[in-house]
Amino acid sequence: MRSAAAMVLLAFAAAVHADPYEADPDLAAQDADYAAGKRAVDAKDWTSAVDRFKRAAVRHPENADVQNYIGYSYRNLKNYDAAFTYYKRAIELDPRHRGAHEYIGETYLLVGDVAGAERHLKALREICLLGCEEMKDLEQAIVKYRATR
Amino acid sequence: MRPTSRLALSCICAALAPIALAHDEPAKEYGRLGTVKFENSCAPEVQAKLTRAVAMLHSFWYVAAEKTFTEVISEDPSCGVATWGLASILMSNPLGGRGSTAPQAQKAMAAIELGRVMGTKTERERDYIEAVAAYYDDWANKPERARQLARAEAYQKLAAKYPKDDEAQIFAALYTAATQQQSDQTYAAYLKAAAVLEEQFKKYPDHPGVAHYLIHSYDAPPIAEKGVKAARLYASIAPDAPHALHMPSHIFTRVGAWEDSAATNQRSREVAKAGGEGDEAYHATDYMVYAYLQMGRDADARRTIDEASQIKGININGLAAPYAIGAMNARYAVERSDWQAAMQLPMPPPSTWTPTPANTRFARALGAARTGNVGMAREELAGLAEIQRALEDKKDKYWATEVEVQRLIVAGWIAHAQKNDDDALRLMRGAADLEDRNEKHIVTPGRLAPAREQLGELLLEAGQPKAALAEFEMSRAREPNRMRNYYLSAVAAEGMGDKVAARNYWSKLAQLGAKSDSARPELVRARAALQ
Repeated sequence: MRSAAAMVLLAFAAAVHADPYEADPDLAAQDADYAAGKRAVDAKDWTSAVDRFKRAAVRHPENADVQNYIGYSYRNLKNYDAAFTYYKRAIELDPRHRGAHEYIGETYLLVGDVAGAERHLKALREICLLGCEEMKDLEQAIVKYRATR
Repeated sequence: MRPTSRLALSCICAALAPIALAHDEPAKEYGRLGTVKFENSCAPEVQAKLTRAVAMLHSFWYVAAEKTFTEVISEDPSCGVATWGLASILMSNPLGGRGSTAPQAQKAMAAIELGRVMGTKTERERDYIEAVAAYYDDWANKPERARQLARAEAYQKLAAKYPKDDEAQIFAALYTAATQQQSDQTYAAYLKAAAVLEEQFKKYPDHPGVAHYLIHSYDAPPIAEKGVKAARLYASIAPDAPHALHMPSHIFTRVGAWEDSAATNQRSREVAKAGGEGDEAYHATDYMVYAYLQMGRDADARRTIDEASQIKGININGLAAPYAIGAMNARYAVERSDWQAAMQLPMPPPSTWTPTPANTRFARALGAARTGNVGMAREELAGLAEIQRALEDKKDKYWATEVEVQRLIVAGWIAHAQKNDDDALRLMRGAADLEDRNEKHIVTPGRLAPAREQLGELLLEAGQPKAALAEFEMSRAREPNRMRNYYLSAVAAEGMGDKVAARNYWSKLAQLGAKSDSARPELVRARAALQ
């Protein structure tokens, strides 16, 4: 017992300490289901993506990225009602989530609701005071939509 | 111990041993740490040592606590509750938000398992081990937020089960406070913890954890005044713990008590340096520099920055040291409006902590924009955009937002330099509103240039002194007693023709700079205005 305890002493006497001032990185990215969901997205296997991201969402219920990915996967499955539900949840969790604003805006265009898309473009303009890709992409999508109507 | 337990213990110890990584140990014996009563069933000859380790844990003196807890285990292998202390240390500063790293979690889980194998003589001690185990349960599959909530819940249950165990109440309050989010400006978790701790403070006015956690629980602008009593006591409760000497300055900074902040951080820096704790020393140094600059003690600030180069034993890939190294040099230029010096700031040493160069780039960009060098300002702005992108890629939302605020401020000053004040004000207002939604991180005494103060300064430059003064007043509510704020407020009041208000601000500025060791133009002007 004494020698075992001595090994504990040895192990802990030279320990590594966390930096006490560091911020919290997003650990959802380390989640196995989240990673599998992203691989399914890359493979365009939308059904699997929904399944894996929903599993990740159980462990990360407040993670807007996970909700956004579920919305994106449903959108590609053409289940737009479900897509809206998850995009809205992503925005509820993070009102400044640029990706969710862009994607829900584009989904509104897919169902012919240009006013809905414009609402999210307005939100992006308020968020991206210095401009951002998401705002440009949604702007272009709206322009393209109008040109084809 | 049964043979199987002995075997299990050997296996666990073998698992613990390879995780050894270097960390400097304090060179001196540990002294005054406050009064803690941690009932335990360990051998009588180690009880005092175990209690001392718990006192160290309360002051986040992890290096010393770890050594002491392991000594206890070595001297009394039946003292299973000491493993609870080891696992607690490996969660690191619970208010810092980061928690354990993977190697630390692995090691903590081995310690917990060791505690279970060693056993405890009381159910209460076993419950302590299981309470800390809640944090590490399914560690790899949980975000830090979920771990924090699980830990708080487990300790609240512990406190409820043992209502007469004040240590359980105190630890439960700490871990409740640790669930506070920087975006929650009702400070619900902090105030819940503070309610418990205030009661404990009446019973234990010299308990290091109670005073320490009260400071953390009031570390937010509208409630900081409530923490002054604990702040004034904590350093004298545990004067040999570097963190105890530094922590009061979190409250002193919030209420603008600069002399107190500089003094306690100076002591903290010296104790940390002597103990080889470079990160803690740098952290105290940045707070000290900030305090000196608010008093116009520029020579003291400069000397303090220069002396910091002698600090050894830092983790350049951590947060405290790289933040301080970049921030304090930038502060020295920006607080004094020395835009030429700001433009020439050298980049801090490379660090894997992504925001490291942001404050330097921000200060250089400010210097360039304020002197009309739009080209250089744009280059630095692009550099800040890269940092923000990298942080977003890492999903580090808090620091990405902090850098976005800096970009908006710089873009505002660039627009102003280009005579486009409509855009400038829109961008600067966006910066101020965005910054106000989050509290500052505990790593910093204050942001390099408060966004709302910058908005006021821009309004002043745009010929709108009344609107400017309103912004300075709002900024002061969150960051009180700043020299630049009083100076700009006085100028704004003069611009409005309000001589009474102007005199009031000049007077506050002169008081703040009563012990100034420099010829700050603001102070020269204040003294002239008051004659």
